Amino acid sequence: MTPHEPERPGPVALLAVGCGTAIASVCALGLVQIQRTLSGAWGVAAVVTAGALCLVLARAFSRLTHVVPSGAGLPAFLSRAFGRRVGLRLALPYLLLMIALAGVETRIVGVLLARALGIPAGCGAAAFLLVAWAVCRRGIRPGYRVQFAATAVLMVLLGVLAAMSLLRAPAGALAGAAAPSPAAFLAAVGQAFFLFMGFELLTSHVEVAGSSRPIGRALRHTVWILILFYGLLAAGFAVEPARPDRADWLTPQVGMAEAAGGAPAAVAVIVACLLASYTSFAGALLALSRLVQVLAGQGVFPRPLARVDPRRLVPARALDALTLAGALAAAAIDGRAATLAVLGAAAAAATLVYAGVLWARERPPFREDGRSRGAGLAAAALAVVLLALGAGALWEALPPAARILEVVHAR
Amino acid sequence: MSTAQTELDEAVAVFLGAYRARPALVAQQAGWSPTIALRATDTGASARVRFADGRPQPDADAGPPTLVVSSDQRTLEEVLRLRLGPNEPYLFGELTVQGPEADFVRLDYIATELCPL
Repeated sequence: MTPHEPERPGPVALLAVGCGTAIASVCALGLVQIQRTLSGAWGVAAVVTAGALCLVLARAFSRLTHVVPSGAGLPAFLSRAFGRRVGLRLALPYLLLMIALAGVETRIVGVLLARALGIPAGCGAAAFLLVAWAVCRRGIRPGYRVQFAATAVLMVLLGVLAAMSLLRAPAGALAGAAAPSPAAFLAAVGQAFFLFMGFELLTSHVEVAGSSRPIGRALRHTVWILILFYGLLAAGFAVEPARPDRADWLTPQVGMAEAAGGAPAAVAVIVACLLASYTSFAGALLALSRLVQVLAGQGVFPRPLARVDPRRLVPARALDALTLAGALAAAAIDGRAATLAVLGAAAAAATLVYAGVLWARERPPFREDGRSRGAGLAAAALAVVLLALGAGALWEALPPAARILEVVHAR
Repeated sequence: MSTAQTELDEAVAVFLGAYRARPALVAQQAGWSPTIALRATDTGASARVRFADGRPQPDADAGPPTLVVSSDQRTLEEVLRLRLGPNEPYLFGELTVQGPEADFVRLDYIATELCPL
């Protein structure tokens, strides 16, 4: 039985969704942080290495989606492999850190709006949250075409600016960096998983895509596009002169645009970032609200959050709670150290979940009959490597977190 | 097979009976006209329900389904007999859906409203 569905997303729409959920304004900050750990081409190598591992993950997600074609995504896959309790425990930190990242993204949007309109950043961030909340509560979600347009404009614009930075850079600016220690390189690879985080949300579109095959293809192609895009962007940031104490540290992409193309380029990047942030944020808010609604129905969160607005068919109270959580996260995650700690923790949560996915793929009901023992051992080894990379990313994030605790303690 | 099919048909009748007994809920679904197929993955039993303007129709076999709900026989029966909310098996990957999200969200809403849990 195949449902009659006249508006199935095509391959391009699925790619836009995959790239759009992974790419947010905060990713530029993550790239700059990687460049602070490793300089020159080593930062690019770290991004490409993480991307190569994500290609393996894309194949695993493809198998999981084929066996369990569920829009519930991670909780469904992990629960089927490990049981309900373990599945939820593995998925929850990842989902909670997505809320923290939404807070960081909100602050970034506030800074972008402050630059564009001259209003206080706090007001801009609050306005962004309120608009996203109000639109989502009316049941309006960004369509595939809007997501494609927003994602494509941002990627092309930043890609061109990064290429211009590379062309203007002196010879050897990229290749001249000294080799880092293996530990520093691996920690940077762990950090780079943060950039790809969210590409797997593509699996939730299997319900409307008609079958798991286009999802599997889109997962692999999305990772390839992300590797090329982030690799180019990392190279562009690598040849930029270091300006560690810039006031606009939250929005390094605007700084790169200014350096490469002056004020018009900066304005274009701000508009593109705002559009991409909105579509990414609204999509994540609606997807997460549905999950919070379902979890509330299970008693994981307060039961009233499970209520659905009968007219709009949106989990209105879950949306309210998530928006409030996003606002609190935006207010609490103040300053560079706290922001980078969230990025590191998000990368660690992503690698934990991804290791779980590799492991799940080798367990029933996902493991095929007759699959070689070697494949299982290779997956287990890769899962351990992912956990080690996540630990490295967390280690990189811990020093600022420890300093925050010291400051809080001193107060 | 025939027993499984009979039991699934009976469970569908329980669900539709409970739905029809809530006129306000039926009225709320005005304008909703999907054909929903239910498929038991372990027994092969299946059922179809066509809605027109929110009201279940007797000619269930007419036209291709807009939404396909798949699960094992026991879970489908538990949901249709209102002993289990559909959210729970959906979240844990035991019940899957193929078709527009809006149709499933509406079906989920109806089932949750009917489910006394």
